[in-house]
Amino acid sequence: MPSRLTLILVLLLALTVVGLALFWQPGSPGTSDEPTGGDFVLRSADGPVDTSAMRGKVLLIYFGYTYCPDICPTTLAALSQTLNRLTPDEQAEVKTLFVSVDPARDTPQRLKDYVGFFQSSIIGVTGTPKEIARAARMYGAVYSRHDIPNDSNYVVDHSAWTYLVAPDGHLAGRLPYGATPAQMLTEIRKWLPSSTKKGTS
Amino acid sequence: MKRFLAALAGLALLAGLPAAASAADADSITVTAPTVRLMPPSAMATAAFMVLHNGSDKDIKLIKAASPVAKVAELHTHINEGGVMKMRPVPAIDIKAKGETQLKPGGLHVMLINLNHPLKEGEKVAITLGFEDGSSKEIEAPVAKMMPMPMPMNHMAPAK
Repeated sequence: MPSRLTLILVLLLALTVVGLALFWQPGSPGTSDEPTGGDFVLRSADGPVDTSAMRGKVLLIYFGYTYCPDICPTTLAALSQTLNRLTPDEQAEVKTLFVSVDPARDTPQRLKDYVGFFQSSIIGVTGTPKEIARAARMYGAVYSRHDIPNDSNYVVDHSAWTYLVAPDGHLAGRLPYGATPAQMLTEIRKWLPSSTKKGTS
Repeated sequence: MKRFLAALAGLALLAGLPAAASAADADSITVTAPTVRLMPPSAMATAAFMVLHNGSDKDIKLIKAASPVAKVAELHTHINEGGVMKMRPVPAIDIKAKGETQLKPGGLHVMLINLNHPLKEGEKVAITLGFEDGSSKEIEAPVAKMMPMPMPMNHMAPAK
């Protein structure tokens, strides 16, 4: 009898190991290691947006969605305050993209209305689920739909980082949720072409 | 609307009867800084924030909320899992004896879902807070633009 129990336990353990080997994917979800960034083309209400056309500027990228009731508004409010604190010259050197992780509900117009509420210079973009997945993967952003019981609506769990792309196009870093405008400003100014020039001359 | 409120108050009274011997939870709780986040007009949902103070010697649980501006009101929290913010309903919000609990952006909040009309800045939103002993408290939370509060931040994480 004891040997039979042992056998069952060994079998269970073996199954667990095999199961882990099959389904375990290092770095996902939630901790996509070593994202390198990269260029993408997505659609805004005012036409296509191509990040490769933004070389020479600091690019801020946030992945979110317009039904997002708390996390996105908090970050967008912080970004808005940050952008307002930049001088007009500095503002011309910064582009901010809000990439929808909910293309089923977020139309380009809805995105424009939503981000425009916080700051008119922020561009809301969306695309096909595939295009968005590709963009998110490059930055290590993850997201997944989460249904709410007894409700036809759903929420989308998503990475709450703001990615900072340097003027040369490389992913310079990411700002965590809760970063203050002062902290964001410091990080942005490190990479602005005008402040970099000032620093070297 | 008046009738609805009266009915609510009546229900609260009825529910509160068994606990009449000791102070009702609702009477031990004071609410400060109630605010409803102003959202873009197209928003289907928003969140209410406040600080709950417990003046009594026992722990109190907030177990539900309701508001005439929303079809559904739920108690929610956010869980930060490796930079992914996950919003989840919670069965109760604890307010420790003689303590306070903050409902704030990125954390605990009262979620107002399926708004009956777009909320305007300055509008006062009635919210009924329901406690474990069946007592309830009605508060008024003004709709306001929420600006980020200073929060501690770790240094910017490197991309690699």
